Amino acid sequence: MRNYDLITPEGTKDLLFGECIVRRDIERTLMELFKSRGYSEVITPGLEFYDVFNLNSRYFHQENLYKLTDSKGRLLVMRPDSTMPIARVVATRLRDAILPLKLCYAQTVYRTEPALKGRSDEIVQTGIELIGSQMKIADLEVISTAADSLTATGMEFSIELGHIGIFKELVSRLDATPSEKEQIRKLIENKNYPALNDVLDTFGESHVTTALKKLPSLFGGAEVFDKAEELMPDENIKLLLDELRDIYADASGLCGDAGSITVDLGLVNKTDYYTGLIIKGYLSGHGEEVVSGGRYDKLISEFGYDIPAVGFAVNVNAICKAVEKGGILPAMPSPDVIVYAEEGYEADAIRAAKELREQGFVVENALFDDIDSVRDYAKEKKIAKVIVIDGDSKEAEI
Amino acid sequence: MNRPIRIALTKGRLEKDTVGLLEKLGFDCTAVREKGRKLILPVPDGNLEVVLAKANDVITYVEHGVCDMGVVGKDTIMEMQGKFFELVDLGFGRCKFALATKKGYDFYSGYGIKTIATKYPNVARSFFEKKGMDTEIIKIEGSVELAPLLELADGIVDIVETGTTLKENGLEVIEDVAPISARLIVNTVSLKMRQEEIEGLIKKIEENL
Repeated sequence: MRNYDLITPEGTKDLLFGECIVRRDIERTLMELFKSRGYSEVITPGLEFYDVFNLNSRYFHQENLYKLTDSKGRLLVMRPDSTMPIARVVATRLRDAILPLKLCYAQTVYRTEPALKGRSDEIVQTGIELIGSQMKIADLEVISTAADSLTATGMEFSIELGHIGIFKELVSRLDATPSEKEQIRKLIENKNYPALNDVLDTFGESHVTTALKKLPSLFGGAEVFDKAEELMPDENIKLLLDELRDIYADASGLCGDAGSITVDLGLVNKTDYYTGLIIKGYLSGHGEEVVSGGRYDKLISEFGYDIPAVGFAVNVNAICKAVEKGGILPAMPSPDVIVYAEEGYEADAIRAAKELREQGFVVENALFDDIDSVRDYAKEKKIAKVIVIDGDSKEAEI
Repeated sequence: MNRPIRIALTKGRLEKDTVGLLEKLGFDCTAVREKGRKLILPVPDGNLEVVLAKANDVITYVEHGVCDMGVVGKDTIMEMQGKFFELVDLGFGRCKFALATKKGYDFYSGYGIKTIATKYPNVARSFFEKKGMDTEIIKIEGSVELAPLLELADGIVDIVETGTTLKENGLEVIEDVAPISARLIVNTVSLKMRQEEIEGLIKKIEENL
């Protein structure tokens, strides 16, 4: 039998030194940003019952989940997402809490990705959930928080808005089976114009099919709304479009200099529990989205508490990757001082090191037999000062 | 300054057809035509860079965004799937996926599970799944036509262009699975972050198909 004791599983990796600094810095910056807006942190278990993610709407495919069983044989999963566990908490322990609830988190999610594709199965996400408000200002607060999060990376970015309601309304007016609707959704998501046209042609020509055909091409700036307006078949859908236009107009001024805000009416991802506004964030030069979120007014009701919510998650791994690609990793930090004890003065050396630490220095105890090895080690690790503790100097000064 | 737009081409016939198309649009593709062993080639007057890769790799590079666009056959897209925008049917590289058996073989008779040999297990599986048919699928790397002749398989799912190879080996197409042609795919972030450049290029391409 082969032993796998020297490698990590596919889709996982060890982070060392500078990589940890980058990751923790990003996590800390984002969490501070969220907390400065009044969000409070929650931590949910890494393991959840499978049922939490297997609601009626089945947002997660079972083949993408890491599964195990508990001691009673019940099916568990490694958390593939933080929003659904938070929805569970809100519907149970926070049911009587005053609204709106502002929650934030920084935790790892696990999803199985296809092997050998260079993808990670273990992703750190930080995000916010704003629960209990349907007001426009709630949407704007979430969008501007997403924009500020990407501004903090120091890179050029773009925030993109969509509205899943427009697609849902359009497709509901089509006399199609659920599997045909799913096929149409997928073709819009992939902006596969040729195949989308072929499928929609089988439904004959109508305002609805014309609008659906155009939906994936309706992305870009403010001009998108003018183009979309004339395509929308009735007032109900126009209302949704106006809602998005209104948010877009206000959000445009909230992105700062490094960011731009765009719109894509063809954002219709499947695994989304979103019911209205959709938010995506991109970094220039990074091939995948780094922010994903939106409004999910029906999700918490699936846990028995009917309450609207909006939020987003930042893919911290993706940001780390972009940061590391843009520059060199920070050097491993060097201690300021190394303290070497002559034989018999070990306890004195440990005391001396402690005193120096209390003065604010980073201090290491030398673990060598002779002073030459200490000097070599200090040189290699770029430690500026070596202090020797022997009978003469029981107290160290710098 | 942004790097040039990178377009990954599937080496071989699709590469030649695409270069022909780019030249029709007025791009100077001398470097691509005289490429030698180079794999990344500049198109000087277009702020464009051509990358030559195998079909599966075109998808991988575009998915990761290290190439903004790619030209790849629908056959590879159907087999590999992936997250990208499939914007244009380029119309060239036309052929089809088909189910073929030995001439005269009654494939759908009997209740025994049929064995299918193919280079495209995902395509074959989803084709039979839609029919509600449970099949055994065997992946073959080389000439798939051999499998039914050696009686390893009842049929094959493979790309058929003219059907000559099938005919010469006593096989025949009994059903079409899906039409195939070259597609222009685009990375999901590139399309948004460099919308003007990419849409401009696509518009030109569509006008010249």
